[in-house]
Amino acid sequence: MTKPIVEIVGLRVGFGGAAAVKDVSFSIQPGETVCIVGESGSGKSVTSLSLMRLVEFGGGEILDGHLMFQRGDVTMDLVTADAATMQSIRGNEIGMIFQEPMTSLNPVFNIERQLTDGLLMHEPLSRSKARERALELLREVRIPEPERRLKQYPHELSGGMRQRVVIAIAMACRPRLLIADEPTTALDVTIQAEILALLNRLKREIGMAVMFITHDMAVVAQIADRVVVMYKGDVVETGPVAEIFAAPKAEYTRALLAAVPRLGDMAGQSAPEPLRLVGDTHDPKPLTPRATPEPLLEVRNLTTRFPVKGGVFRRTVAQVHAVEDVSFTVNKGETLSLVGESGCGKSSCGRSILRLVEATSGTVHLGGQNVLAQTKHELRGMRQHMQMIFQDPFASLNPYMRLQAQLTEPMQNYGLDNREERAAQLFDRVGLPRDFLRRFPHELSGGQRQRIAIARALAVSPGLIVADEAVSALDVSVQAQVLNLMMELQADLDISYLFISHDMAVVERVSHHVAVMYLGRIVEIGPRAAVFENPQHTYTKSLMQAVPIADPNQRKLDGDLAFKPIPSPIHPLDYQPHQSVYETVGLDHRVLVQAG
Amino acid sequence: MQLRRGGNSRCFTPGTCMTYIANRLLSVALTLLLISVITFMVTNILPGDVAMVIMGTQSNPEALAGLRESLGLNDPLIVQYGRWIGGMLTGDWGNSLVFKEAIGPLIANKVAASALIVVMSMTIALAAAIPLGVWAAVHRDKWQDTTASTTALMGVSLPDFFWGIMLILLFARYLGWLPSSGFVHPADDFIAAVRHAFLPSLALGLGLMAHLTRMTRSTMSSILSQEFIRVARAKGLTEHTVIWRYALANAIGPVMTVAGLQVGYLFGSIIVIESLFNFTGMGWLTYQALLNRDIPLIQSTVFVIAAVVMITNLVVDLLYAAIDPRIKLP
Amino acid sequence: MKEFFTGKGIVGGGIVLLVLAVALLAPLLIPDTWATQMDMRSRLAGPSTTYLMGTDQLGRDLMFRMLLGAQTSIMIAGTAVLMSLVIGLPLGVISGYFGGWIDNVLMRLVDTLLAFPALLLALTISAVLGPNLTNTIIAIGIAFTPYLARIIRGEALRVAQMPYVEAARAVGTSDTWMIIRHILPNIMPPIIVQATISLAFAILAEAGLSFLGLGTQPPDASWGLMIQASRDYLDVAPWTALVPGAAVAITVLGLNMFGDVLRDVLDPRTK
Repeated sequence: MTKPIVEIVGLRVGFGGAAAVKDVSFSIQPGETVCIVGESGSGKSVTSLSLMRLVEFGGGEILDGHLMFQRGDVTMDLVTADAATMQSIRGNEIGMIFQEPMTSLNPVFNIERQLTDGLLMHEPLSRSKARERALELLREVRIPEPERRLKQYPHELSGGMRQRVVIAIAMACRPRLLIADEPTTALDVTIQAEILALLNRLKREIGMAVMFITHDMAVVAQIADRVVVMYKGDVVETGPVAEIFAAPKAEYTRALLAAVPRLGDMAGQSAPEPLRLVGDTHDPKPLTPRATPEPLLEVRNLTTRFPVKGGVFRRTVAQVHAVEDVSFTVNKGETLSLVGESGCGKSSCGRSILRLVEATSGTVHLGGQNVLAQTKHELRGMRQHMQMIFQDPFASLNPYMRLQAQLTEPMQNYGLDNREERAAQLFDRVGLPRDFLRRFPHELSGGQRQRIAIARALAVSPGLIVADEAVSALDVSVQAQVLNLMMELQADLDISYLFISHDMAVVERVSHHVAVMYLGRIVEIGPRAAVFENPQHTYTKSLMQAVPIADPNQRKLDGDLAFKPIPSPIHPLDYQPHQSVYETVGLDHRVLVQAG
Repeated sequence: MQLRRGGNSRCFTPGTCMTYIANRLLSVALTLLLISVITFMVTNILPGDVAMVIMGTQSNPEALAGLRESLGLNDPLIVQYGRWIGGMLTGDWGNSLVFKEAIGPLIANKVAASALIVVMSMTIALAAAIPLGVWAAVHRDKWQDTTASTTALMGVSLPDFFWGIMLILLFARYLGWLPSSGFVHPADDFIAAVRHAFLPSLALGLGLMAHLTRMTRSTMSSILSQEFIRVARAKGLTEHTVIWRYALANAIGPVMTVAGLQVGYLFGSIIVIESLFNFTGMGWLTYQALLNRDIPLIQSTVFVIAAVVMITNLVVDLLYAAIDPRIKLP
Repeated sequence: MKEFFTGKGIVGGGIVLLVLAVALLAPLLIPDTWATQMDMRSRLAGPSTTYLMGTDQLGRDLMFRMLLGAQTSIMIAGTAVLMSLVIGLPLGVISGYFGGWIDNVLMRLVDTLLAFPALLLALTISAVLGPNLTNTIIAIGIAFTPYLARIIRGEALRVAQMPYVEAARAVGTSDTWMIIRHILPNIMPPIIVQATISLAFAILAEAGLSFLGLGTQPPDASWGLMIQASRDYLDVAPWTALVPGAAVAITVLGLNMFGDVLRDVLDPRTK
């Protein structure tokens, strides 16, 4: 084995009094990709920031250990390096990219300046030479029209494009090690696939080592050579990627892998089925739909447009076509998922159905009544039958109300009796101890809060629950538990879900029916098996191609990927959209006919 | 006045672009109109009236009634307002009861004097506040921060006129370096003008500086915790570049906006400070008008001050748009 | 609550408590005559054992006048801030929560009012109504209302957009209950902070008004009035200005420190 480029030995990092990283040791060989994987609070980001000695700027302190870094023929300990040495290493020998492409670039400087100032710092270049290098870098990260981009400002670029610029900045001086801290977490799945493919190619061409920090096992499976699994500030397991996935040794790794839904796992299954988690004793039972489906929610030609205001009198100057001629049916006791990337209108669609935003036109029938035509008073009564679970478990509970009050509020609104007893029963139902009733939201973890949100939705015994990205903000092990709870409730209480999500693997796990949304329209809708195993629309196909699979034997990031960027849904007032026309390609399986 | 920032002020078609400018001007006119209405209303809630001020409270009721009739004070308020605003628009601002002069030229003179100390105090405040605030933010929660923040907190806690009194005692009475009262026109003797304006400007500037230091510190500390600062450090840039170029370029817009809003505060404070220093500017004039209940003059000075404040904020907004690439004016 | 007991919190809180105690207890413990008795032989006397903080131009004891003046200054500032809260809170909450044309109209009005410097507005109202104690309160109260209404509206708007409000709407909560249960409790912390800081500003405003002779009038004794009286004797007796000036400064400093610490403790956004 060659000498490692970095060897971390017994690293211990503290913030104030608490140790965020307790005892971390691992090494990275030249040219290999090492994934540091762990859930929130595992210390994976702190480890990477320590290596750059950036952790000190955030109030952290390296308490113990060594960061042995290979520089030419000598090995030096970065822990004891002085500020000037670190500065000559940063951006030059070690590059770093971060999670948030929207905030990673300085908003008031143009791209050229941000690309060249690192170059000018580390290399003796003239301004014009630096500019040429910047252009080359932009071409290398496959940004279209690189000349024009140099003069643009960050806000003029899309998220994916910005992340490419951040990568170009990190690559500018040809570092031997690239640290990537959750670089695709904030991105849509197609853009994630593009960025991962780009990193893979750059690593191959330049021969640099990559230290990749992520929480996503599917991403790990796609790009890692070796894997370091972290939990609460410690390394629990290290090994080659194939071994980690095939034969995990640590209990924690096994539990983590069991909680990850894999795209394709449900192939051949007829109905959704809870995940089999480590420690589960009973066998999960599939959610077989009833023999004759009974429609509960019928959405027809739903259209929602938001005004874009301007001028002194705040007149409408344009419209966001958020939802455009959408029709679907949710059956009793079944789950229909709306899946798509950010901005596709899936959330607006869910909110329009509950009339949390007002639809422009269309009908929504729930149990035979048109929700959209109801008066404010009738609507209030109607909301007893349709409830919602929100994405952010931290923001969707009132911080100043005790949990009991938050659970009894909906019952009080509808004049239900035995409220406190029912609240306690709901706590049992969602698996929370009753003594939590007196607590405030901040005393609970994210998963526990989401259970409260589910209990609140259940409080008035609704027939339909709209779950808007209900598990997206949760760590994967907690996500699996909440998903299983939702499926269990469906089996027991015959609830219907409109499940809104961007995560194809989760959607495959929970759905009876799936509708894929793109630019405000459903482009493909049908039974889960049909849509996932026989996708017909080009967009569905590209989504399926982009989703990483949590299996190192199914890698698909070869060559460069480039998906079509999503056009803007903002149109002038006089814009007349065409109707959605569908072609039936199978039983209940319909595909949008492309316009024009 | 707050202007909307960001995406929704952008044009979608060339046609809306042209109307945008018209809209903006219309908005200014509308605000000025509202300012005039409020000014007129505030000055007309008083128990006495102009006739009473002119003739004194002990005067003959019949003569008083006659004067009221001839001044049109018996007309409905809306008619009186129409007459007043009509005069303002046609340049006839009436006569001051105290100074027995035409109000228009009187105010024009005083505005220039006040502009001198407002600009001087703003310059003093910004020149000190920005470095101090940056310094405090960079050394957040260390002794440097504590020192700067405590000093700034004391600065905002002292009344301006108290600063003024201290400055008079120190620089005029004990040291005798600077004059403590009076105004000299810059065109007559520039050095003397600055010397006379210096102490009032300093008295105004100290409180302002303290406020802007606090603002700069909080803006800079939130910017320094953003991701692009980490990216800049990860590029290997020096701390000097990171702080004084990367971070400060982002802080300057918000700090300027707050400084612009403080112009309103300054135009309140000049009433006290100009009176204290016998500096014959707008503040002094307003004070004389208020003390003597010179209603036509009160109306005009209050209107002019509010209009100046509104227009200053508008200019600051436009400047912000000019320096920040995220805001595009069509 | 642990965060409150920092150096700043203890000093700020201590000052606020001390000033409140003086304002409440001084009138009960100190006979009026101590502050009004004129000693013509020792006019403008410097601090001495007889007069700890010296005397004013009429030979009155400055320390007792300062202690008794606390009540007037605090009462004017407190009532004025309360008044602007009573007007500003409903306006701000309605504007921020319901939005729409009400919001447009109210906020255009408030924005226009904000073009009038607060001190100018207060001075004008006080001059027009005739300067006295009550009118000083009204003047400061009206002048501060647009600021508070603006801030409260912003907070109400922020809270109205929180997911828990949407969640409450989804479970059928009416507008009235929404405001009582969800909006008000969540906007209270920043409003308490703002009220504390406004109190500091109101004390400064009262001092400014009285200093110009357009605020409190004799025989009411306030700190601003004491500073005004000192203007002609600055050369010979600077303590006549320093005593009430220091009282204002320390009170305002205490309130500002208290407000800063409250903001750190109560406002989750600064964490």
